[in-house]
Amino acid sequence: MKFQIEKDVFQEALNQVQHVVSTRTTLPILSNVLIEADELGLQLSTTDLDVTITMRVAANVAETGSVTLPARRLASIVRELPTSEINFEVNADNAASVKAGPSFFKILGLPSSEFPTIGEFGEAKEFTIDQKLLKDALRKTSYAISTDETRYVLNGVNCLIGEGLLTLVATDGRRLAMVEQDLEFPAGNETAAIIPTKAVNELQRLVEDKGEMKVSFTDSQASFELNDSHLITKLIEGNYPNFRQVIPGAANHRVTVERETFLNAVKRVSLLANEKTNSIKFAFEDNQLAISANSPEIGEAEEVIDVRYDGPRIVVAFNPEFVMAPLRNLDQDEVYVDLIDESSPGVIKIDEPFLYVIMPMRVAG
Amino acid sequence: MHSPYPLSAEKPLSEKDRTLLWNDIHIEIREAVGETNFELWFTGFQISHIEKGEVTLLASGSIYALWVDENFKGILLSIFPKYIDPLTNIRIDYSEEAEQEMAEMEASTPEETKKPEILVETISESKLLERGQKAGLVPKFDFENFVVGENSELAWAASQAVANHPGKAYQPLFFHSACGLGKTHLLHAIGWESLRQRPSSKVIFVSAEHFGNDYIHAIQNHSLEAFRKKYREADLLMIDDIQFLGRKDGFQKEFFHTFNMLADRQKQIVLASDCPASEISELEERLSSRFQSGMSAEIYRPGLETRAAILRRKRDDWKMAVSDELIDAIVEHVRGNVRVLEGSLIRVAMVATMNEESIEPGDVGEILADICGGAESANVGMEEIKRAVCEHYDLEHKVLIGKKRTARVAEARQVAMFLCRTMTELSLMDIAAGFGKDHGTVIYAVKKIRKKCETSNSLKSTVELIKRRLVRGGSVKSTTPSPDDYRKRG
Repeated sequence: MKFQIEKDVFQEALNQVQHVVSTRTTLPILSNVLIEADELGLQLSTTDLDVTITMRVAANVAETGSVTLPARRLASIVRELPTSEINFEVNADNAASVKAGPSFFKILGLPSSEFPTIGEFGEAKEFTIDQKLLKDALRKTSYAISTDETRYVLNGVNCLIGEGLLTLVATDGRRLAMVEQDLEFPAGNETAAIIPTKAVNELQRLVEDKGEMKVSFTDSQASFELNDSHLITKLIEGNYPNFRQVIPGAANHRVTVERETFLNAVKRVSLLANEKTNSIKFAFEDNQLAISANSPEIGEAEEVIDVRYDGPRIVVAFNPEFVMAPLRNLDQDEVYVDLIDESSPGVIKIDEPFLYVIMPMRVAG
Repeated sequence: MHSPYPLSAEKPLSEKDRTLLWNDIHIEIREAVGETNFELWFTGFQISHIEKGEVTLLASGSIYALWVDENFKGILLSIFPKYIDPLTNIRIDYSEEAEQEMAEMEASTPEETKKPEILVETISESKLLERGQKAGLVPKFDFENFVVGENSELAWAASQAVANHPGKAYQPLFFHSACGLGKTHLLHAIGWESLRQRPSSKVIFVSAEHFGNDYIHAIQNHSLEAFRKKYREADLLMIDDIQFLGRKDGFQKEFFHTFNMLADRQKQIVLASDCPASEISELEERLSSRFQSGMSAEIYRPGLETRAAILRRKRDDWKMAVSDELIDAIVEHVRGNVRVLEGSLIRVAMVATMNEESIEPGDVGEILADICGGAESANVGMEEIKRAVCEHYDLEHKVLIGKKRTARVAEARQVAMFLCRTMTELSLMDIAAGFGKDHGTVIYAVKKIRKKCETSNSLKSTVELIKRRLVRGGSVKSTTPSPDDYRKRG
């Protein structure tokens, strides 16, 4: 196998695929990237057996063939190479010689035959989705995914396609983020799938602001084809909880807040959030929102911002991180905070089909 | 009463104990997490297992289990130790069955009318229990354990009709009777039966006092909307002790509108009172006429047979070793209301277990001496006396408490006052107020009747007759009952 490739192109491609390989693995081959050279260029693949990413890049291939090389090591070498042109040659023992100007590296690899093949992707329901739409939806929900591994069904984004809508939901039991977008799709293709966190993260790296993508689901797998990449993931098996029961009914009070002002104020006040309860207080009254934190033995913080609100005084405590997460991931200038009372779940909304349910903490003192 | 808590969590608790425990504990949880949160997350919760200090709670869906575990576990861990000792852990699980059921119910709501019969069959007892308790119903009061006698036939039949066809049979259904004769039992029973037949219907059982407090609370918290939503969207609204409504104008107005709204929507209303609607003091005319517009059923004191039947049922329920003969002896002696009867049964059973020799029916009188003596005074109320007197003299209630002073009316009034004074523990002032007179009049009436009884045999027998009817029970309405009648029945 012998090829010549541009450094930037190769580096970029390796960056995209190397996140999948796990650092600690019992199978050494899973730390490697599979490089396959054909007449058209290279195909790079990595897998952790759950998520597999394949990427095509242009290269001048002098001799076709394949090899697997340690992905992270290769990526760091390529990053440091001095010239823009790299020459690759792999011998029969799977040792790769990398030449770039004055530099020479020899990297020992493993035969490509050892690389796990991705299982056959069976009959699937296929959809064409706007990349930007999915990108936005993932960004607005993925931060609420549970990291509690004992609740494995929550370790992903629940993706529902039905009734003309694409619904993405993530929750960890204390907050819930949901996006609902119109989506046209062939009848009979209704789908419910839980896409695991890792695939969600990889997907977010791959999607761009324009263009479409092809998404397919089988009962146990999902595939995303976009640009020059192809991501295949296992789905989380199990039933996602009936999240709609979490969404409170009509709220009594609506507060309109400028998003960035809100975010920055919370960020500052949260520096003195009570370490034990990890909560800060939000007092809404008379077109003002007073955000305050009180940490015994450390000190206090308060910031008052202007909001639009003319209801009765409501004081409610939230985990500041849970308030900031959606604010960071929205683009709108204004957000709405809907409240029922001090102890009932609050809801953050925008003018688009998005909602974020957040459980208050008990207001102490 | 002695608090039974904390319970030992070493050994598994029975299902009944767990239900009772949840019954008690849920109130505290509700307070701690707030009403909205409780409704949102804890509906359908039950205690599924307690062993070796570990409590397992069962939610009706995975999302509830998740949410409660994440957000309220701390609160649960602070409340449960008061009830369970030792407590090492609380696990929150969910039943897939219930989740399925819920999903199916949700899926079937658009076509709710499709096959309600199927729902009837599918509601599980535990679910029914939980819904009923949420509606304010007490589990032990259902139709099955209500003993029907000639004293309650009408009320019983009306209850059945209303439970089977709410909003269609009688609107409203109005029960009245002296205390402890089963009004409340029938209300609860209607609620249970109604829920059993229509699990998704909204049943509310409250006392008038509770309704009033709710109203005040709503005003104070500016949550009248929620209050109205709660009551005006009921499918079956049952209010106990409605006579207490007759004090505040605000309640009456609120209740009037609630009543109209429900009646318009053909929802069933059931009311219970200790006196007929026309006699509830300070009740607005428009309400009183509405109360009388439906079906009014009175429950009388149970006769001998019914009393015996009630006690036999109780004995079987409580698994007491009391013979039929003893029960017959008890009902001979005790003529008070059902609560007094139950108390007497417990006393006899107690004495029977403590004594090594068996008790003879003849001993019962002695065992129950204080109850029998007290029964006469403790269990007859002024309203009943007035009613009995009115019936005897064939007068209308308002004439009795009115200003008319013809000889017959005056005598009836004085007899009524005398009976109130001798048979109840009411004060002179209370009695006077009940007749719209001052206490001097009552003193005079009592003296006069006492004196007259010494000279006039006819008056004496009249007084005795009325008195006997009052304490004996049975329908006061039956014309000229002689003591023989009672014996025949017994």
